[in-house]
Amino acid sequence: MKTGWRQHVYHAVLWLVALIFFAPVLWIVLSSFKTADQILAVPPKLIFRPTFANYVRLFSGQGFLHQLFNSFFLSISAVLIAVAVSFLAAFSFSRFRPAGTNFLMFLLLSIRMLPGSAAILPVYLMYVGFGWKDSYYGMILFYAMFSIPFSVWILKGFIDGVSPRFDETGVVNGASWLRIIFRTILPQVMPGVIAASIFNFIFVWNEFLFDYIIGGIRTSNIPVALSTGLYSNGGVDWTFISALTTTYILPPILAVYFFQRYLLVGMTFGTVRGEV
Amino acid sequence: MSGDVRTFAPVTSPPAALAARRPGSFTRFLGRRDVMPTLLLMPVLIFFIVWNVIPTLWLLGLGFYRFSLTSGRPPRWTGLYNYTSIINDAGVWADLSRTFVFVILAVGIETLLGMALGLLFWNSQRLPGRRVALTMLFAPMVLTPVASGTFWRLIYDPVFGVLNSIIRAFGFQAVSFLQEASTAFGAVLAVDIWMWTPFMVLMTLAALASVPKAELEAAEIDRLPWHQRLRLVVLYHGKFILMLGILLRTIDAFKTMDLIYDMTYGGPGSTTQLVAMTLYRRAFEAFNMGWSSALAVILLLISIAFTATFIFVLHWRERRAEAA
Amino acid sequence: MSETDGRPARIGRRRVLGGAAALTAASTLTYPKYVFSQTEKNHPLAGKSIHMAVLGVAGWLPSSLSVDMSPDFAKYAKAKYGYDVSFSFAGAPFGALFQKMATSLATRSQEYNIMISDSQWLGALATPKWIVKLNDIIAKDPALNIEWYAPVIRAAYQVYPDGTDNLWGFPQVGDTISIFLRKDWLEAPGEAEAYKAKYGSDMPKTWEDFEKMDLEDWKKLLAFFNRPEKGYYGIAMQWSREYDALSCPLMSFMRSMGGDIWDPKTGQVQGIMDSQVNVEAMEAYKSMLKYNPPGALNYFIAEVVDAFTQGKVFAAWQWLATGATMVPKELEGKVMVVPPPGFKNKAGEVKRNYIIGGQPWVINAFNDADHMQVAFDYIKWWYLPETSQEYLKRGGLPCDKATLSAPGFDDIYPWNRTYKYMLQRSTDFWHDPKYAEMLSVQQEAWTGYMTGQVNNPMHALQYVACKQQAILYDEGTADKAPTSDCNGIRL
Repeated sequence: MKTGWRQHVYHAVLWLVALIFFAPVLWIVLSSFKTADQILAVPPKLIFRPTFANYVRLFSGQGFLHQLFNSFFLSISAVLIAVAVSFLAAFSFSRFRPAGTNFLMFLLLSIRMLPGSAAILPVYLMYVGFGWKDSYYGMILFYAMFSIPFSVWILKGFIDGVSPRFDETGVVNGASWLRIIFRTILPQVMPGVIAASIFNFIFVWNEFLFDYIIGGIRTSNIPVALSTGLYSNGGVDWTFISALTTTYILPPILAVYFFQRYLLVGMTFGTVRGEV
Repeated sequence: MSGDVRTFAPVTSPPAALAARRPGSFTRFLGRRDVMPTLLLMPVLIFFIVWNVIPTLWLLGLGFYRFSLTSGRPPRWTGLYNYTSIINDAGVWADLSRTFVFVILAVGIETLLGMALGLLFWNSQRLPGRRVALTMLFAPMVLTPVASGTFWRLIYDPVFGVLNSIIRAFGFQAVSFLQEASTAFGAVLAVDIWMWTPFMVLMTLAALASVPKAELEAAEIDRLPWHQRLRLVVLYHGKFILMLGILLRTIDAFKTMDLIYDMTYGGPGSTTQLVAMTLYRRAFEAFNMGWSSALAVILLLISIAFTATFIFVLHWRERRAEAA
Repeated sequence: MSETDGRPARIGRRRVLGGAAALTAASTLTYPKYVFSQTEKNHPLAGKSIHMAVLGVAGWLPSSLSVDMSPDFAKYAKAKYGYDVSFSFAGAPFGALFQKMATSLATRSQEYNIMISDSQWLGALATPKWIVKLNDIIAKDPALNIEWYAPVIRAAYQVYPDGTDNLWGFPQVGDTISIFLRKDWLEAPGEAEAYKAKYGSDMPKTWEDFEKMDLEDWKKLLAFFNRPEKGYYGIAMQWSREYDALSCPLMSFMRSMGGDIWDPKTGQVQGIMDSQVNVEAMEAYKSMLKYNPPGALNYFIAEVVDAFTQGKVFAAWQWLATGATMVPKELEGKVMVVPPPGFKNKAGEVKRNYIIGGQPWVINAFNDADHMQVAFDYIKWWYLPETSQEYLKRGGLPCDKATLSAPGFDDIYPWNRTYKYMLQRSTDFWHDPKYAEMLSVQQEAWTGYMTGQVNNPMHALQYVACKQQAILYDEGTADKAPTSDCNGIRL
């Protein structure tokens, strides 16, 4: 056990490490309160009079609120659908182990392992054929599909951890299966549900390529706006980028803060559980 | 480290009580051993078929056709032409090998650095503001990659960038990180390391948490030197979790694309062109869909190989747990 | 700016098509009928309310003006035709715009009713019949039959395939390469004397002086103003791998020095692209790097704007359509816009053969009858003299002879004179449907040479020639297959 000044030095080092990793993010946040000339100033300005003009411009900009709404709407609805159907499937995989469980679990995971451009290519062609491009249902269902493997893996792990005795007790007492699933199992795997939701939310929230390819005017989210809105009349619009980025990184950062204990579960497909 | 870390428990067998249930009309139908599991699986299966099986078959089929979205002509059957042209394309091989170099360097450095920092954070329970500090440490991996990529471009900028201001302040020449063939790859790699080292820190902390306290105390009493403690106690218990972390990072690094898209777009020349970017450009810039489908199939096979390794490692652990 | 719009769901259910083959079924499409002669009283849309979506270049003033000026059109349409119309703008940067357009048009969508395309895409948009062919419409409507300032305008913005009479687009903005330079630096006390002392000749001052200058003269001037130790550099040029950033200036060097990139008649690339004169052009362009600020290898339009307006460079190699951005309030009166370097031919005359920029309007072929009608009403309004004047005033660059030849045109903005001058000395490159694929190869190899990934310029050119020859041969455009030494060639 370290004591006194050694403890202080140790803690200072830890904070320093955290700050080093956070510094680029901090730089974005600082930039969002600068004017365009201050952002490009050489040498960089650390002390400056903050301006909120960038945010005023951002929020009054045509389309921004719509895209922000899209970001929320797409991520929340896709995650709700994905987690709901994944929970049922995970229960089935865990309790009944239907033929081909392992193979299906394997295939599900391999979708997530595919580079994005390879995954979206056939889906784009399919959407062209079916006329689903730039439709909310097309986007939401595709994002849900992409969130399912993750959720199934996490939830199956959690349901495996719930003793089958709970089901047995329910069955013996004459409860229906639906009751067992939702009243007995679901409350016990809530941490898994939260972990799956948070991580899929962050994934869809940050997703750029799919929205860019199969989305359009109606369904474009903020990463697409960020990527296509880089330029304003000839110059790179750093004030727009930094204000937008700062606004947009708030939810993921808050998620990390409030759901830190689920971080590990989410990042490892539920194969490693615990806290740090 | 609080809380225990459980890893995949062996799957338990379905409840024996299932067979001995009281009859009831619809409930009984649902309770039949073959109906209920299928019914529960149905939504996922539908998703799976519509968004995975059909597109994959489409992809497989189109790989045998010559088809460009902008040529105004229907697809023409070409047999294995797309595949042979990919195999004979030195550019694709160069991009693939560049991708593997990227994966090896990125994952290697992230693992070493992540383990070092993870060990550093091992005893951080009493750190004031620990949760804030960890949030700051983990922030890079949850940032929108498009935003990270774009902003790093400004940070790296030789004239306006803050990094070069620091370099100049120390009296060195400004470096055009993303614009020189010799530095661009390293600069992109560095951003990937910044983004994903926190993940390996996370995995290391999880691995450390899985080490039984008793063994650590025993090692303390035996006065084992630190490297032996690391090897015999920490790595012995934590290697499974670390391995999973390395695997997941490998798979993710193989997919790297958003970051490159906004930082260098594969340039300068082709020095940062990773294979996901190659496919993207051929499919959605040149609209050469037949050729791209064939390349996507090849990438699919590579991903399946990765996934298989991942599952193998998981099962190997399970089997070991069962044997124990 | 960004993609905008919260437009109500309006796109009707599209046909469900059976397979990939159906993607190209579009080629049999017929356009909704466009009513050519309408009177003020009985316009088919009178009383209706229409929303139009325009897709253009993000952050590009002439593109934004298309929608910024649309309230004027709304008033005009209400008064003249009796319908209400509103506009929204969606944009993507140059490098991503074609993707955006093509991925949408391939679904036969009317997500974007009017589009601002880059001139080289006409082939790729026209071949699958995604955009409206305009011959019949122009033939029946004299208001759309406009006399342009220079022949290149029709060739670049309207015609595909090259040399035919098939028309597919209307010029939205004309654009040429030029050099913006700091007049106040040029005229700063002591500079002229120092220049004369250094080179023994007078420092160029007037537009006419610059017109006579060839590359070597320019190098002297740029070397003179290149003062890295003070943080000032000679010139900011375009070198980036993005889109056609490096290609346009480099092809301008090649053509002005007497080279070319292909033979449009036979589709032959090998033997033309990999010529000695092109090697010299590559070397000449690379020799300019030393007058550029560090990091210039990543410069495209926006970065050049930043470098110039932040006062880091004496001169900027830039497209004229950025004029209003390049000369902000602070720089008014301090900037001169002059023709880019000339090249001496064998007879010793200074010649220029540059790549033209600018974008045409194209009309979505999948528009329903109402949107088609409004699209053409809008285009006709766009070419009204009042509209052209307003467009010009706001920093746009019209192409019609009437506006450009009007007295006083040259004096409205500092870049107007150069614009007209360069329109006479610019030509376009490929309009081929394989444009994007060929450009991608070329950008890769050429930036590879500029950044030092490839050291031998001839090798980079041979690589491009092989790849492009193969692309064109596969497509049936080129008569000859790539030669055997192309097998396995890599950068």
